[in-house]
Amino acid sequence: MPESITLYSAKICPYAQRVEIALAEAKAQFKRYEIDLQNKPEWYAPKVNPASKVPAIAYGGPDVPPDQPSPESVKIAESLVLVEFVADLFPESGILPKDPVTRAKARFFIEGVSSKLIPAWYAYFLRNAPVEDFYSALEYLQGLLPAEGFAVGEFSIADIAIAPFLARTRLSLLNEIGKYPEGDGKKVWANITSGKFARIGKYAEDLFARESFKATFDEAYVTEAFQKRFAGVRNQ
Amino acid sequence: MVQNGQITLYSSIYSPFSHRVQVALNQAKADYTDYVVNLSEKPAWFTEKVNPVGKIPAITYGGPKSAPENPPPESAKINESLVILEFLADLFPEAHLLPADPVLRAQARLFINIFETKVFEAFRNFFFTPDGSSTALLEGLEALQARLAPNGFALGEQWTNADSAVAPFLVRIDLMLKNDIGKFPQSEGLKVLEVYQGPKFARLTKYIEDIRESSLFKGTWDEKLNLEIFRNHPYTQRK
Repeated sequence: MPESITLYSAKICPYAQRVEIALAEAKAQFKRYEIDLQNKPEWYAPKVNPASKVPAIAYGGPDVPPDQPSPESVKIAESLVLVEFVADLFPESGILPKDPVTRAKARFFIEGVSSKLIPAWYAYFLRNAPVEDFYSALEYLQGLLPAEGFAVGEFSIADIAIAPFLARTRLSLLNEIGKYPEGDGKKVWANITSGKFARIGKYAEDLFARESFKATFDEAYVTEAFQKRFAGVRNQ
Repeated sequence: MVQNGQITLYSSIYSPFSHRVQVALNQAKADYTDYVVNLSEKPAWFTEKVNPVGKIPAITYGGPKSAPENPPPESAKINESLVILEFLADLFPEAHLLPADPVLRAQARLFINIFETKVFEAFRNFFFTPDGSSTALLEGLEALQARLAPNGFALGEQWTNADSAVAPFLVRIDLMLKNDIGKFPQSEGLKVLEVYQGPKFARLTKYIEDIRESSLFKGTWDEKLNLEIFRNHPYTQRK
């Protein structure tokens, strides 16, 4: 029986949503504490995560309110480490494939998300880097997908790693949030979900339809938060 | 889970990344073949049959033992050193490449993450480019040191993937600093060496000693050969 879990999270944050999805898939009991990333509580860095980022989990220890973390709980950070941690705590969740080779495929997919997709997206979104680089990263990941279903067939940590990013890519592009020329957003989203990108378009739909994704993604909130947070990026 | 078929590792004597996998395979007591790929004259069959991206390390798993140029078609092809380390931990659970306890597993993975995010770039920039920062390297090493168990290896008494992932780089950093090898200005190197050998890094230097003495690592590290390799390495020349 796992010990108590307190998750420090933020609705805007794609890294934090990864852990929220994993916990939802595990149907885990846990306390959730929202951290305002623009105004972090002064106890957060010293008592939970010295890097001052979300997500983080305080695991075990006495039953305390989340804003009074105990030194006796174990503090763990880094979204991918936390997703594996949840998978280890809740093997019945099924998010870690049973077969080692399939697990390796899932982790290889995640490596592609980390080393190719996320940097290419941020380069386009924040610096208006050539969109072709973003398309290449998507093409690479699309090439790893099976003909249907999730990244390694059944829903897994691979899908958990990418879903929050694709969701924020979608809402950014459809709402023209980002440094790229206004009007390009909707075109780019259409490009990356049809034609030669039809497979990844279907994959994104499947991800967004997953219950654990829907339960942990407040689209209206994140859209408004993105509009506020990235309002000035086009004019810099 | 028992090894169910052949394992072939495609490696390079120049690569700390394939070194990671050699150490993990040793810890797993896997039955494997280590095939050294000539990276400067990469054979076509390597990209065609083993790793389309052409990089090492790569492993094939499954099927009967075959010539390395001809891996069994049904074998799984697995790339990326850290993905391979996790794979070996899954394939050989009794070897405990990762501990059984979820919290300890998370700590092993966090240790690797600190190396990947704070040390690796700094290492590459300092030794292999002229614009490296000694501050970034020392801060990275300090962050890693802070995560070490008080004694022994990363997590304590038992060697884990955390050590396999990090040891190949630490021994190379140690080798290059002590022998003034790298693109950094010599005076910079001496300054770093002084701090590195001082009290601030006592825990780290003890860890590196323990790594060198470890039976899992010893047989995989030829210091003389690597001194030659790095002295003559095209990317460490000061020009």
